[in-house]
Amino acid sequence: MISLYRPGDSVLHRLPAGPKLLVVMALALAISLAPANPWSLAGTTLAVAGGYLLAGLGAVEVGRQAWRLRWLVLVMVLCQVFFLPGLTVAANVVRVIVVILLANLVTLTTRTEDLVDAIERALSPLRRLGVNPSRVALMLSMTITTIPVIAGFAAQIREAQRARGVPLAPLAFVVPLLIMTLKHSDDLADALTARGID
Amino acid sequence: MTEIELSAVTVEFPARTALRDVSVRLHERRIAVIGSNGSGKSTFARTLNGLVTPTTGEVRVHGIDPVRQSRQLRRRVGFVFSNPDTQIIMPTVAEDAAFSLRGRGLSRAEVRERVAAALDRIGLSEYADSPAHTLSGGQKQLLALCAVLIGEPSLVVADEPTAYLDAANSRRIARFLLDEMPQQLVLATHDLGLAARCDIALRFEDGQLVDQGDPAPVIARYEHDQDQE
Repeated sequence: MISLYRPGDSVLHRLPAGPKLLVVMALALAISLAPANPWSLAGTTLAVAGGYLLAGLGAVEVGRQAWRLRWLVLVMVLCQVFFLPGLTVAANVVRVIVVILLANLVTLTTRTEDLVDAIERALSPLRRLGVNPSRVALMLSMTITTIPVIAGFAAQIREAQRARGVPLAPLAFVVPLLIMTLKHSDDLADALTARGID
Repeated sequence: MTEIELSAVTVEFPARTALRDVSVRLHERRIAVIGSNGSGKSTFARTLNGLVTPTTGEVRVHGIDPVRQSRQLRRRVGFVFSNPDTQIIMPTVAEDAAFSLRGRGLSRAEVRERVAAALDRIGLSEYADSPAHTLSGGQKQLLALCAVLIGEPSLVVADEPTAYLDAANSRRIARFLLDEMPQQLVLATHDLGLAARCDIALRFEDGQLVDQGDPAPVIARYEHDQDQE
């Protein structure tokens, strides 16, 4: 499930979503622009890990979140290792990991509802240009909700194929997935209508 | 109990006629709708909250026209679908329940209070912050019901609400719908045991309302006809 929120009462949990998002954006920018210095990279990594401890999530959670990025790290290393000096490759990988861990820290300590509300408020000046912030916020929430549903469809199709002894065939996988997704979007549209959203 | 009224309602889809000239007035609290697959049960249920627009004829639900006064109607009529997965719109349990209160001018504190009370009533309080898609089938259907009831509708339309559930969860949902919930209920179902517990049963075949009245004799005639086929 993409909604990662872990209930808690830490300082980070209590911080309002808007300022938290702004701070993360500023930190992400600073980390990306910082020189490839091993000490500053180590300092940033420790600071982010400290954020997890401050949120009461524990060191294990830092490790778990970092482990999830292993394939991304592998791809990044393979793409750069033959062309760039070792320190630059390490710095790039560490920067990406730290920024993702930082973003995850926000989602772990902020309710989706609060994040979406903050985004809706941030978009409100665009109302003059014809953008409807509520619609954008609703779309974001529904995207977050729908990702695990579609992942579930994919798992069902693979199980059905395995049960019939069918080897992994891209077309036989993509076509039913598309059909199930379109059917789901129809049903979801009905559910939205039934709940008063036209 | 206020009325549901259909006058000469026909619903035509591109490939078939789903309802044919249906006229009925209903004021009972628990209304069962039975019939074979494709008989028109679901279409009848969907006309009651404007999900399906009649090709001809008129529908009035508690005095409201579901097509022309759709916004007003959806505050009065809640709809529970058969597949609980397709009803979840927001990521977490509490957020999904709160979604039904959008646009009602309530403060965040009022929304949280009503969500907490509604989840407590239906027994989902401990899952408030859980991702909705990690709930079991029965819990998801309870959440769908919670999302409907939190809006305080006067009519709940349920289209096969127990179709995806195991026996224990079916009993739980049925008990809630038929015994605990005070609202008027239209229940489209294949489960004749549930239909028998309603105050009136309507039977549809091939888009036509072919029988109505006390559930026991309507169900007996339905079962007899099925046995003959």
